[in-house]
Amino acid sequence: MADNTIIQQGLFTSTGVNKTIVLRSDVDWMMTWNLTTIAGATQWDSIRHYWQRELPFGDHVIDYHAAATQAVSTTTGVAGFNGVANRPGFYLIDSSTVNSTPGAAVAVAAGTNATQPVYSTANTSPLAAGAIVRVTTATHNNINGLDFTVDTIVANTSFRLANTLATAPGGVAGAGFWRYIAPDVATYNMFYPSKRVIANITAANPAVVTTLVDHGYTTGQVVRIMVPAACGMTQMNGLLGTVTNLTAATFSINIDSTLFTAFNFPLPAAVPFTPAEVIPVGDGNAVLTGATVNQGYLGIVLASAGAVSGSPAGVNNDVIKWVAGKSFNTFLP
Amino acid sequence: MVLNECASRLGVSLRQTEDQLTRDMLAATASFINCLGGINGDNPTEITRADVDGVVRELLNNNAYTIMDNIEGENKFGTAPVRDAYFALCSTKLTGNLDAVGGFIHKNQYPAPMNALRSEWGAIGNLRFLVSSIGSVVPNSSALMADVYNIFCVGMEAFAAIEQDGYSAQFIYRPPIYDGPLALNASVGYKFAEVPRITNDLWVINLRSTLV
Repeated sequence: MADNTIIQQGLFTSTGVNKTIVLRSDVDWMMTWNLTTIAGATQWDSIRHYWQRELPFGDHVIDYHAAATQAVSTTTGVAGFNGVANRPGFYLIDSSTVNSTPGAAVAVAAGTNATQPVYSTANTSPLAAGAIVRVTTATHNNINGLDFTVDTIVANTSFRLANTLATAPGGVAGAGFWRYIAPDVATYNMFYPSKRVIANITAANPAVVTTLVDHGYTTGQVVRIMVPAACGMTQMNGLLGTVTNLTAATFSINIDSTLFTAFNFPLPAAVPFTPAEVIPVGDGNAVLTGATVNQGYLGIVLASAGAVSGSPAGVNNDVIKWVAGKSFNTFLP
Repeated sequence: MVLNECASRLGVSLRQTEDQLTRDMLAATASFINCLGGINGDNPTEITRADVDGVVRELLNNNAYTIMDNIEGENKFGTAPVRDAYFALCSTKLTGNLDAVGGFIHKNQYPAPMNALRSEWGAIGNLRFLVSSIGSVVPNSSALMADVYNIFCVGMEAFAAIEQDGYSAQFIYRPPIYDGPLALNASVGYKFAEVPRITNDLWVINLRSTLV
């Protein structure tokens, strides 16, 4: 690799979560050095991570300390080291295609019957809080195929749907699959602001709306609420409201729904149905925030395994140096 | 000669890129209705006449204008009059399913087939279907993990491509002399600055369906 193939480089301090690097152009390879672990000589600390296009999605080559010396051993993320395989690595993101290329199906063992269902799985890579997944199980067919923001990820054990449903799915989920859709809201849809499926609407003044995927709306934007009969609260259907942003998952609208029928998330018996949705339609303030913005980008998500070394984004407070490059030519078998 | 061919290909690329951006904007921002009338056990189901009628009623209720005028019936075997219609933009992979919908009229059964557009497949009720190989598909997103096909049903002036800063597209040509001292390579390309935008959210509905 000649130095002049480097298209971009940088430095960041890890916060112990996945790090998204937006790149200025297409990329063929990327490398990170963990300056913190290089300075030490702690057994099982990784020091360098390398990715290039021919590697499987999420894989990488790892240099690490196999003993408490400066000697270096090498492995891959899939093979892992110290008895831990599938160490998450680099995830190439092209947000113009992210919705057309979901991740591979990963087995789910079961899911709880709660307004924030928890799904157990032996492989949570590359999930981090705020990532978006699509779950399909035998029992939760009312939420099958819908996209959700997740939180509370227990590595290689379980993840939770972050945004609270109006009603629990209606049963304990059996075996199924989950798919990785996007690392965050910015990547989820190339155009901003975009529609969202509704998890809940309160009967209150003002009404508070919760979305399955974090909404990303800003105060002052105008939205239309679409509520089909299967979701109750049909009095809300078609109404326009001005958004007041509350949290990543919730916003209030200037509509008094106190006397409206209660909102419910349809149960499995209601399938097939059209879910309730919120459609951004314009701005109610002086600043144009609701224009359709193409926020597409190409980049790399550097995974972190939380408090465990072995992934390119390191652990909390690690200082990471990275370079990304483009090859003049690529030879494949 | 080569330059003419390049310009021709770039023109196709430009308009196809425009189409893709508009497609992605509609997929991200338009309201949707799932097909519910089918029997494939999925959510959404395959498209049926009831689903077409439902989306047409919704557009009519929202005061959307139809885009195409009706085609008057004529005394010709195997033809049928075609209603005034909204456009339905979808993937070529739906053509087999469209054929099976009650009341489908293939464009060669129009009384005046020359009125059909090149990309048109046929009509059902007040929808005329335009198909494309780059039609919108969301993989593995139905309840049974099947691919979901977005059918954008649009009324007149429901969306637009808005040119930014007063210019639409520019064709760029740099002759070989700018390439290097040996003047070996010329460059041609295009750039454009425009944004697709829904002008009235009530006049476009994404009818989502799976295959039979």
